[in-house]
Amino acid sequence: MNFAFTDDQLALAATVRDVLRAHCPPQALRTERVPGWAELAATGFFTALVPDAAGGLGLELIDLVPALEETGRACLPGPVVETAVAVPYLLKGLPELTKLGALTVSAAHDGLAPDADLADLVVMGPRVTTRDRVRLAPAPGADPCRRMFEVSLTGSDELPGSWAAALPRATVATAAQLIGVARHLLDTSVGYARARTQFGGPIGGFQAVKHMLADVAIAIEFAAPLVSRAALTLERPSAVRDVSAAKAAASEAAALAARTALQVHGAIGYTYELDLRFWLARAWSLSAAYGGAAEHRAIVRAELPGAARFP
Amino acid sequence: MDLDFTRAEQDFRTEIRGWLADHVPAALPSMDTSDGFAAHRAWEAELAAARLSVVSWPIEYGGRAASLIEWLIFEEEYWAAGAPGRVTQNGIFLLAPTLMRFGTEDQRTRWLPGMATAEHVWAQAWSEPEAGSDLAALTSRAERVDGGWRLHGHKTWSSRAAYASHGFGLFRTSGERHRGLTYFLFPLDEVEVRPIAQLDGEHGFAELHFDGVFVPDDMVLGEPGEGWRIAMATTSSERGLALRSPGRFLATADRLLRLAAPDPVLADRAARCWIDAEAYRLHTFATARRLTEGAEIGSATSMGKVFWSELDLRMHTLAMELLGERAAATSWHDGFLFALAGPIYAGTNEIQRSIIAERVLGLPR
Repeated sequence: MNFAFTDDQLALAATVRDVLRAHCPPQALRTERVPGWAELAATGFFTALVPDAAGGLGLELIDLVPALEETGRACLPGPVVETAVAVPYLLKGLPELTKLGALTVSAAHDGLAPDADLADLVVMGPRVTTRDRVRLAPAPGADPCRRMFEVSLTGSDELPGSWAAALPRATVATAAQLIGVARHLLDTSVGYARARTQFGGPIGGFQAVKHMLADVAIAIEFAAPLVSRAALTLERPSAVRDVSAAKAAASEAAALAARTALQVHGAIGYTYELDLRFWLARAWSLSAAYGGAAEHRAIVRAELPGAARFP
Repeated sequence: MDLDFTRAEQDFRTEIRGWLADHVPAALPSMDTSDGFAAHRAWEAELAAARLSVVSWPIEYGGRAASLIEWLIFEEEYWAAGAPGRVTQNGIFLLAPTLMRFGTEDQRTRWLPGMATAEHVWAQAWSEPEAGSDLAALTSRAERVDGGWRLHGHKTWSSRAAYASHGFGLFRTSGERHRGLTYFLFPLDEVEVRPIAQLDGEHGFAELHFDGVFVPDDMVLGEPGEGWRIAMATTSSERGLALRSPGRFLATADRLLRLAAPDPVLADRAARCWIDAEAYRLHTFATARRLTEGAEIGSATSMGKVFWSELDLRMHTLAMELLGERAAATSWHDGFLFALAGPIYAGTNEIQRSIIAERVLGLPR
């Protein structure tokens, strides 16, 4: 029993964080579609889950959890989870895997495909195709940095891999991003509550504000271990239950962080001008991605009778 | 990072599970009645005879020197087996860690073994009528006399005091708000104890009236004037890992899921509780790891206290909804009343949220 991230796992996250601070600053969210991707690709982030033999880093999802949190914290645009986490399993064995990051892949198990207009390859259910063999229709979406598309395939090939391994991993990775989004929303709100003064003092001195922010801190503190556990037990009998517990809790923690951040910021938070809206939108879009909280709780409930807690 | 138990830890779990299956009694009467208190003490003695009452303590005081992870395993099995509440908990979970850290060798040898067997049952004496959340406002005092101290004043909401043999708490030895407080141990036989009936009508706590009760110097824990610092170490035990292991909440969540299964709407709420109980368990494993490495958990224990107390209340409130008018005939009702106290004792959840905001998040005082 050693339920703590290793130094290597934390070092990878620190690298990702530094790269994104330098190359995906908030102002880039307004002007670029994939800021920081080239620099992040240079660290090996996008090929981390590709096997050694196929030219990747050969890591497991658990190794990437803190780094994925950082992509959420930075509100990194583009099909991050699809490219870095789903594709190594969907396109298993393809030589293109070594180029991930420079090569962008959108993928949808069913429904809408995120950032498909940017993608070199598009995976739709059990089929994969190239950008020139799809027709895209933009679908209305909540997140300006995660644009959604209806995809019609004009020609396609069968996936070399499958969704069986990709879908639970993408779901956990999205939950990890949600934890990062929530951490940023909390940090930003605490910063604002310390700086904004009313009635002669910072609004963060008022108990009503303090207690709301404390509740966000608690929600994040107790959702994060579920995400780590889900990344650890992907090959265990409890995997389905653990993945859904993680996504349900992370979705709810991020939703609470977003709701509270907006309330703490007040009217300025409700503007198009403030950067806050990018993280609010990301909390909403990722909460829904790969299934929302209620859907995943239903899965947890269905899985429970057969899942023993104690090995 | 891993979540695997060692072979030895799995064997420990098997041993505990087997012993409990053979020994856990049918439901005992409330520990806050005279008969129930005696029955709970007898159960503690049975646990102690099997060296299971305080598994994580050193062997010389009655424990098995079990690791924190083994202690968590013990707790999971204990509550999953439906074993009785711990009448000794104020002593074994609050006072004992304090004695081990701040007491003298003589105090440890004198008091810990009797605590482990429930020969002595300890009550806490923190609050006063005018000092609740603002504990440092307390006015009970200890007067220096030859060879010891005389205690004066009035304590209240003293858990277990109606039937306990001993107490521990803070008394003022000088005027300084925090540095004027001293930590005392005292036998309850010369203290005037006035039991207070709780919501359920039983005497779960009491008022204590001290009218010059003499205690010798060896009943001071730590140095005079160090009481606040020592008590804060104790209350972080109470809020955090030591008193509230995940086992009880896991067992409640499992029972709640079975109860809620036929109702799809309430089952969704039960699933959320179950997920939260798992979250608390996993979080505790992470905390145990940090404690094992020597880290101080500090103000972060306040997050756990809010989380488990509100989870416990949510679970029992949901059970009340599921059982309707039949709830009062079940042990869920007793659990509900007990859970209602959680957000109040050990520092109200409002105090905890302020601690989190100020000391964890860095918001202004």
